[in-house]
Amino acid sequence: MKHILIIIASVLFSILFYEKSIGLNLLLFSMMTIILLAFNNSEQFKSKRIILYCITYLTTAVFVFIQDSSLSIIANVVAFFTLVGAISSDKTSIYINWINGLFSSIAGFFFRKIEGNKNKKEQLLNKDTDFLHLVKLIGIPLVFITVFVLLYKNGNPMFNDLVNKINFNFINFQWLLFTVLGYYLFSNLSQPVRIEPATSKDRSIKNDLYKTESFSEEKLKKEKQLGTTLLGLLNLLIILFIVTDIISLTTIDNSAAPAMSAQVHNGINTLIASIIIAIVIILYFFKGNLNFYAENKALKNLTYLWILLNMVLITLIVIKNQNYITSFGLTYKRIGVHVYIFLTLIGLVTTFLKVMKIKNMVFLFRINTSIAFVTLIAFSTINWDYYITTYNLNNANSYDLNYLIGLSESNAIQLKRHSLNTTLDSKSYSRIDNKYANYIKHIEHKTWQEKSFRDFNITEEEKSL
Amino acid sequence: MNLPLNLAKSSLLALVIFWTIICAKEGLDHDLFLVMLLSFIPIFLVVTIVIIGTICPIYWIAKKEHINNTQLFKTYFPYYAILAFLICAFGIIVSDFDIYLTAFFVSAFITSSQSWVWFANEKSDHETA
Repeated sequence: MKHILIIIASVLFSILFYEKSIGLNLLLFSMMTIILLAFNNSEQFKSKRIILYCITYLTTAVFVFIQDSSLSIIANVVAFFTLVGAISSDKTSIYINWINGLFSSIAGFFFRKIEGNKNKKEQLLNKDTDFLHLVKLIGIPLVFITVFVLLYKNGNPMFNDLVNKINFNFINFQWLLFTVLGYYLFSNLSQPVRIEPATSKDRSIKNDLYKTESFSEEKLKKEKQLGTTLLGLLNLLIILFIVTDIISLTTIDNSAAPAMSAQVHNGINTLIASIIIAIVIILYFFKGNLNFYAENKALKNLTYLWILLNMVLITLIVIKNQNYITSFGLTYKRIGVHVYIFLTLIGLVTTFLKVMKIKNMVFLFRINTSIAFVTLIAFSTINWDYYITTYNLNNANSYDLNYLIGLSESNAIQLKRHSLNTTLDSKSYSRIDNKYANYIKHIEHKTWQEKSFRDFNITEEEKSL
Repeated sequence: MNLPLNLAKSSLLALVIFWTIICAKEGLDHDLFLVMLLSFIPIFLVVTIVIIGTICPIYWIAKKEHINNTQLFKTYFPYYAILAFLICAFGIIVSDFDIYLTAFFVSAFITSSQSWVWFANEKSDHETA
């Protein structure tokens, strides 16, 4: 039954993806994957965590169908690895799920060959379905028969005529190979494997820090002194930097794009360096017994203050970036700056939590990767090309039309409408017209597997603008 | 470690996978037959370099630490497979899915993975002792 299901899935895999671009097919593939995983791993599917990962995976697939963007595809792939990894071993960190999921999907077949040898029962089962032997049994005679047929063809004209009459053109070998790829993938997925000892080690590591036997008051006092002096001076320095930054922010001319661009980029570089050093210093001082030292209050307060001041620094960068966006419109890089700032803020908050609640580094790594995953899923639900175009055409003081034309096809209708209602130069008009024509042509040539929600819902009026 | 046997089996496997992928796309032409036979030499060289350069060192180092082949496979193969997959996928994408390079990278990934399995299935010295 299991093999029949995998064979059906692999044939469907070829029907969905062979020589096709991404669209409805990825949503159907996601559904198939969940069915196959649930069928083979029914025990794991009783866990609420697995159900949640299934819903997340399915949601990302729905958004691939709706948005048809690269980001939504990336989110879907990451959610896929997360789900497969979680099935291989529940209650592990999300990054272990990713590694397990990736490994299960690409090489689970090879790994199970050795895993399967563990007990004789499985060995017997393997003997029943020894695919390598089957491949040899079919492959080697096939190679030799082909060689000899080619040789005999030259030796006998009658045999040559007979062979020439044989026509295998009705078989698409590439399609068959693609189906084999599908079989390999689904066979890997049917029974996800886990990487040891990484998985068991991750499960055994808790998030809390504990006092070690090397606790020495004298040593900790010196460490505290060093930390207090260093963080005290760094706090003074960052205050000075923030004051000068606020002054420069109020004096900058918003109409000069190069000046604003330089200011935002310099600010970001400062922020990157500052936050990384801040986190490294905090992690260094709070890596061990200093967390349990009774007189660490001053150091802790200075740490909290420094985290807070870094947040102020972040706010200033947000203001600069937002001014830049209001003046010159949205671009992926400017959105990227906002995303980076958001993730940095999260990093600071989790560092604050680590110090306050006496957590270890693994806690930081676990929580930050989980938040990065949620952020990716959340951002994949937005059609950024459409949003950037709408914002720039309606809200920005000035924008780069060439940049909008260079975005994906999803804004073709918006731009075409804009070109009909606004006076543009002939070059821009022609480029928009080409983009729109290509988009309509592309939709008409798409098969049902490749279509997105937008393609299914395009109106006749939109097709004949 | 039976390296010669592993190299022979791996080269044959790589040859079959490489030409199966190419023939599926370009069709089987009997003029290609001689090229197929001759291609065994470069394929054997590449397979030898990959196996001796990337798989064997792990086995040689681990041998000193008295880890048996199965343990070694379970510990190191996953990371090897992930890295090999990423490199091969990158190569295929960068080549813009050129059929010859795709066939090369696919056969490289499958052959190196299967080579690990063959090594792991051999009985290590202290297992036989």
